[in-house]
Amino acid sequence: MAAMIAPENTPVWVDTARCKACDICVDACPAGVLSMQQEPTSTLGAMIAVIAADACIGCHECELVCPDFAIYVAEKKEVKFAKLTDSSKARQEAIANNGYRLPIDYKEN
Amino acid sequence: MAFNYDQYLRLEKMPTLWCWGCGDGVVLKAFIRAVDKLEISQDDMCVVSGIGCSGRFSSYVDFNTVHTTHGRTVAYATGIKLANPSKHVVCVAGDGDALAIGGNHTIHGCRRNIDITMIVIQNFIYGLTNSQTSPTTPQGMWTVTQKAGNIDPTFDGCELAVASGASFVGRENVTAPKKLEKLFIQALEHKGFAYVEALSNCHINLGRKNKMLSAMENLDWIDEITIPVKKYNAMTPEEQLNLLPTGIIKQDTEVREYCDMYQDIIDVHQGKRGKITQDDFVKKI
Repeated sequence: MAAMIAPENTPVWVDTARCKACDICVDACPAGVLSMQQEPTSTLGAMIAVIAADACIGCHECELVCPDFAIYVAEKKEVKFAKLTDSSKARQEAIANNGYRLPIDYKEN
Repeated sequence: MAFNYDQYLRLEKMPTLWCWGCGDGVVLKAFIRAVDKLEISQDDMCVVSGIGCSGRFSSYVDFNTVHTTHGRTVAYATGIKLANPSKHVVCVAGDGDALAIGGNHTIHGCRRNIDITMIVIQNFIYGLTNSQTSPTTPQGMWTVTQKAGNIDPTFDGCELAVASGASFVGRENVTAPKKLEKLFIQALEHKGFAYVEALSNCHINLGRKNKMLSAMENLDWIDEITIPVKKYNAMTPEEQLNLLPTGIIKQDTEVREYCDMYQDIIDVHQGKRGKITQDDFVKKI
């Protein structure tokens, strides 16, 4: 089995040199862990960011749908993943409705 | 630890030249996971690709690779396979490569049932050359060459492969990467011609004038037009209209594989056996 060393205690991490800001992983994440952020030097003016790593449930959806080898999720035995909560779902909905970016004035419930 | 794709990639070619959100990358990842799961050595695998966005597939993977002329992937792959019957040969083609300019090679590859896995990345348009009508473009869609709406009837690649005699025919959707990976594993394990169609998105060239501006909208549309093959078979012909079945559409392990039959020819010439007769085959005419 192939292996890739994860940064310690990090459930999900990204390689920004490969990301093209296509929004697919943000759309796929059920827990609102990922969001696009403004990045003027990027081609599409946005770049992926992990905004709530603690909420990651370890479903690997983002890693599977990323076409650019840019996002990685740790394996279940290495990191303790969170459970899907209502506040994670609400954050995901807010991000999806705001063009895949976290609203500036967003407050956690 | 996460799955390390980098050991199968040519890192100097990264990041890929595909557009943001392109399904080709998902197909590439699913293929790498399938190869890793089957523990096939990188030296025992040859990837042949043609021209088009899918043609870049062979540049990114660190196997033995051949980047060939437009539409001739199966012709090259047949030669590679006959010379190296013990190795895995995989063709990667787009819908234009496999069904338009290379349609002739595809049907004869299927007919011979040679042990090649053919991956067709089907995105319903000629993406690389900017939105010309392909044989798989749905009727009524806007393309550069049919601006009033496409009137050409649509081609079903899987039905063509079944009719031409491929012994394994499957179709899957890039919105289901795990299923795609499983289909690749079954296709690579199958002995005989395996035709696998991966429905992919091209929101840049198909979507921009067809109300699917983002990758997600395009993928939602693909989800709408696909249905698992079991449900599809239970439908009436009226309900089946405009839907594409996904899953394994045909699997036949009875038909003889071409490299086996070619070995018979070698044996005849070396005096190891008598001449080949009709009794050597299951299906006779």
